[in-house]
Amino acid sequence: MNAPSKAPFKARAKAALADPVLKTAIDRTTGNAERKRAAAVAAFPEFEAARARGKAIKDHVVAHLDHYLEMFERNAAARGAQVHWAADDAEARAIVTRICLAADARLVTRAKSMLGEEIGLPHALADAGIERVETDLAEHIIQLAGEAPSHIIWPAMHRTREQVAELFKTGHHPPPAAEDPATMVQSARTQLRTKFLSADIGISGANFLVADTGATCTVTNEGNAELTTTPPRIHIVTAGIEKLVPSTAHAFALLRLLVRSATGGEMTQYTTFHAGPKRPGDADGPEEMHIVLVDNGRTKMLADEFREMLRCIRCGACMNHCVVYRQIGGHAYGGTYPGPMGSVLTPVLDGLAASRDLPNACTMNGRCAEVCPVGIPLPTLLRAWRRRSWREGLEPGSIRTGIGLWAQLARRPRLYRLATRIGLPLLRLFGRGGWISRLPLAGGWTDHRDLPRPAAQSFMDQYRAQQKGRK
Amino acid sequence: MTARDRILSAIRTALGPGKPPAQIAAEAAALLDPAGIARPHLVAPVLPDAFALKATALGTTIDRVASMADLPQAMARYLDAHGLPPRFAMQPAPELAALDWQGLAPHQGTAPDEPTALGLALCGIAESGSLVIHSGPDNPILMSFLPLHHVAVLRESTLLPYLEDYAARLSAQAVPRNAILITGPSGTTDIEGSYVRGAHGPGFLHVILIADAGTEPG
Amino acid sequence: MPGEPKPTVGLFVTCLVDAIRPQIGFAALQLLEEAGCTVEVPQAQTCCGQPALNSGDDRDAAHLARQTIAAFEGYDHVVLPSGSCAATMVHGYPDLLAGDPEWAARARAMAAKTHEITSFLADVMGYAPSGRRCDASATYHDSCSGLRELGIADQPRALLAHVEGLEMRGLPGNDACCGFGGTFCVKYSDISNAIVTEKAEAIEETGADILLAGDLGCLMNMAGKLHRRGAKTRCFHTVEVLAGRATGPAIGEDAP
Repeated sequence: MNAPSKAPFKARAKAALADPVLKTAIDRTTGNAERKRAAAVAAFPEFEAARARGKAIKDHVVAHLDHYLEMFERNAAARGAQVHWAADDAEARAIVTRICLAADARLVTRAKSMLGEEIGLPHALADAGIERVETDLAEHIIQLAGEAPSHIIWPAMHRTREQVAELFKTGHHPPPAAEDPATMVQSARTQLRTKFLSADIGISGANFLVADTGATCTVTNEGNAELTTTPPRIHIVTAGIEKLVPSTAHAFALLRLLVRSATGGEMTQYTTFHAGPKRPGDADGPEEMHIVLVDNGRTKMLADEFREMLRCIRCGACMNHCVVYRQIGGHAYGGTYPGPMGSVLTPVLDGLAASRDLPNACTMNGRCAEVCPVGIPLPTLLRAWRRRSWREGLEPGSIRTGIGLWAQLARRPRLYRLATRIGLPLLRLFGRGGWISRLPLAGGWTDHRDLPRPAAQSFMDQYRAQQKGRK
Repeated sequence: MTARDRILSAIRTALGPGKPPAQIAAEAAALLDPAGIARPHLVAPVLPDAFALKATALGTTIDRVASMADLPQAMARYLDAHGLPPRFAMQPAPELAALDWQGLAPHQGTAPDEPTALGLALCGIAESGSLVIHSGPDNPILMSFLPLHHVAVLRESTLLPYLEDYAARLSAQAVPRNAILITGPSGTTDIEGSYVRGAHGPGFLHVILIADAGTEPG
Repeated sequence: MPGEPKPTVGLFVTCLVDAIRPQIGFAALQLLEEAGCTVEVPQAQTCCGQPALNSGDDRDAAHLARQTIAAFEGYDHVVLPSGSCAATMVHGYPDLLAGDPEWAARARAMAAKTHEITSFLADVMGYAPSGRRCDASATYHDSCSGLRELGIADQPRALLAHVEGLEMRGLPGNDACCGFGGTFCVKYSDISNAIVTEKAEAIEETGADILLAGDLGCLMNMAGKLHRRGAKTRCFHTVEVLAGRATGPAIGEDAP
């Protein structure tokens, strides 16, 4: 629901490609993530078995989604949490805003949640006149910059340390004493400490919704989720309905995959289950807990060929290993979720007409599916969008004509032979010394690389001539 | 129709008729069986060693002592080694209050910039080097998050081998408001991937491991 | 083996080999015959249909799938000097035709006997080249479709190990896509260019004389970029070296 940049995808990608600082920032983070994930998987020989199990758990939940939603609702209510249901992003925003306004909330702290971004929570809170403080360090950075996340695990990965220092210089009072990461992190710690303790409401997402206990689970490395959810009077959780797991043990089975795939660690520093508000006698905790269960396209995915995408546990491994993401970064995608998983989800959320480039801007190399901890066949799902885009006439006329003409030829082998017999010598006229450096209508190729000059005679013609000679 | 009805009815239309709850529960349980094939092995044959290896790899420091009576001395050692003041926040637990804290000054309540806090871990998990704390009347959650130094007392007798063992224990008892697994000091890699400790939570996690295995009930 | 009939192989040379570098087709033919196969090249072949399949044009892709199946299903094996076209037949055809009562089973049957050439030579025929020599250093790029959809990684390396004088050098990022992606490279040419630039840099850094790969599309992309950058790396398809045919002009070097 983040309003995508007005520029078309290709223009956004081109701008990103022209930014050497961005490239450096992407390489540092994704390169690290790739190496650390590989090491974590190598150190866990049971990873494949764990992955098969994780996939089966998610499939099981999706196959009984209504059952687990009702079970979760029942158990969360039994712990004193109030469960709300939102069919779409607008309903979800309205529910959260209503809770905030009813509580007369002035200051809201928020622990990073991609679902919150998906439903446009930051804008909704601003529109309601509520001060929002992002507490995840990366979210804090992009809040100061007025940006959207560019990665689902490292939302500020597009910013270098120098750029962060600039933001903190004006955004922190007093500004950090130095520009090294340790000093800047310390400065953010000091800045946010008072916000944590004076917030009226804390909003978090959920990595898991545990059906049999009614608990929501957050995982963080910073400890900001607990500082966001404990001191305020009210804790609001917004979560997609696909986050359900049958039990805590199932959550752990998925957590082993999630952390290794996301950061290459084995466990996040803080894995916290939140079951309802403060109990009588509890030393601290919120007086109210609200859980907003959000559909926003998920039941649509359940009903069609994108059901497997509901397995996604938001680890970000697909984007860390994507050659396209690693060149253009997250913002160029223009949706809430970037990279391969985002290219499957954005057409669901923003419509295919507005996002048809995303499933097409993929080389189909399959590396995303190879590293996906729950075995989502991302290229297959991207191809499904391409099919739909073709069927709905959303593909540009030049591509339709090109593919159509070529297919007409390829469907007629004799004509095809004839075309190569005429075409190859013609094409060769553009060549010099074995290479073609400029070719009309083929600028997409020759702008960037040379084209090997075709053969004077096709294989099939040469072969036929040889066969005749033999006889 | 409410949003709830619309969502559930869309799901049921997509999925068709459901199975009996008992069958779903049996299928869910079968998904985790056997546990051993899809989880990491412990890194040492005995639980305290396995726990300690995992925890220290993540930057947690460990002091192994013989009994609870050694706790004040161990605490004094830690404070001294880090140049910390003798004043520290202490969990309001009777078994901590009962100890002789001579020379140190434990107090209740955790200030926003509290240097050090001392609390009891409910149990530990050897697989991951995690500590577990549960919220409750004598266990404020913020005590484990506000200080720069978090010192946790962990009895060896409470160590569990795997995450599933803790899950089983959690489901067998009343679920607390907050159940937290703490695995190493707070950290972030949000600026250029550089690892920095103490992002919001404690920058130092110190575990005083009490060698009580077999001598006290767990 | 006397008395035992030779397996028949239908060779699908691929549209790129047909038009750009026929020599790869002849190298494949030679290797298959050396391995003890009776090889035929059906005249009804054009393109496997991958461009249509990857563009979402399933109707044209399915038409080409049926045409190709009809032309090749009579052979014991179907072999291609391309992992990506082979993967289209192995995975794409059965998916495309799954709902077609007449063709679904035929697509599955053909998928079961379709092979990329190096895996066919090594795994099915147990073939190893002998008496081949190539005095050069070489690095190998794993083309994505072959690697991930067909599991081709060890076979080409094992076969190349039999070529005397050939010094293989590791390519950092050997399993990362080169940015070709079929129509991707022209539809999103700026992104493709950024990807292949990194690939070319990695290839140049190995200092190898030769770049080898098993897919002409990827090779054309990398060779074209290397040449544009002024690199001296020469590019050949794996089968050209295996067949002892890497003696003449490399890809893009002026051929008669």
